[in-house]
Amino acid sequence: MRMTAAMVGAISGFLAAAVQAFFHVIPPPAYGICIACHVRDLVNWIAAHIYPIYGISHGKLIIPGGPVSYNFPLLTVVGVLIGAYIAARINREFRWKVMRVAWQRPFAEFFWGMMVMISALTVGGCPIRTALKTAYLDITAAIGLVMIGVGVFFGCQVLKKLVYGR
Amino acid sequence: MDILPPVATLCLGIIFGYIGQRARMCFIGGMRDYFLVRDTYLIKGLFTFLIFAFIGFFMFHFISKAISTFPWFLNGGAVFLKKWKTMGINVDPSPILPVPGDPITWSPKVWAHIIVAMIGGFGLGFFSTLSGGCPFRQHVMAAEGSKSAIVYLIGLYLGAVVFHKFIAPIIKAILG
Repeated sequence: MRMTAAMVGAISGFLAAAVQAFFHVIPPPAYGICIACHVRDLVNWIAAHIYPIYGISHGKLIIPGGPVSYNFPLLTVVGVLIGAYIAARINREFRWKVMRVAWQRPFAEFFWGMMVMISALTVGGCPIRTALKTAYLDITAAIGLVMIGVGVFFGCQVLKKLVYGR
Repeated sequence: MDILPPVATLCLGIIFGYIGQRARMCFIGGMRDYFLVRDTYLIKGLFTFLIFAFIGFFMFHFISKAISTFPWFLNGGAVFLKKWKTMGINVDPSPILPVPGDPITWSPKVWAHIIVAMIGGFGLGFFSTLSGGCPFRQHVMAAEGSKSAIVYLIGLYLGAVVFHKFIAPIIKAILG
């Protein structure tokens, strides 16, 4: 069966609600699928267990991140990497490549990755969790989602300038 | 039951990664395609995600206690009141207060939350457009063998540490 983006959105949205309802991925609420937050939980958990000084504030161990990840971090990111790797291998789409355009060469991408993470944690989640929070009827997240659209619009203007040179 | 959420999210991640790779799903990419060439294939994913997540939350909040705070703008205030009682803050909660997760989580200032959401949302859209996809899409591309995306992931992971060590204290000091 051929997957379309609309079907993937429907399945993942429904499963994100189900995983919170039946597998207790809470608190915080609306935490079923989030790439940026789960990366944050994973990285901070590992960092705090390798370097205990990292997580200590006011004399006790506090790992920054969602309370659900305190004992063991959520593993969505690892799952996404495994699932996408299996899909790419099965359908023979795996091959080593580098993006051709100048602003997506690896050195630029390092900077973009860091800026995206800082912005994403400022708004409280990657676009997926912002959409999930909007579906949870959180008004501030709806404002964030609209501002993501505005940011994409300005990004598109910059892209046009970079491509056409005017 | 500590091990249940990690295992559940691992399975969900595998399913999501697999079908996301097949459909090339990306929310930022959907908005970008719509603004640049008026292509609606990817942005349909955003709308169906919103609709079906809402349906899921609405259905399950009758039967599961984990979604007892479902309409957040109605029930979220109680969560804030409970936390504020331990922090010694006496304010009436506003319905606009967000789900916990941003750097100034328990602050009672509504305008501060909105400013943080606006700045963060704008930066997220802007930088993700230039990098070529949302964080989820970059993970999928890294698993497909794109070296640019792998370097992006290293930056993303270091960004989490940088944020919690340097940026979050600044935001808390200014707005919190």
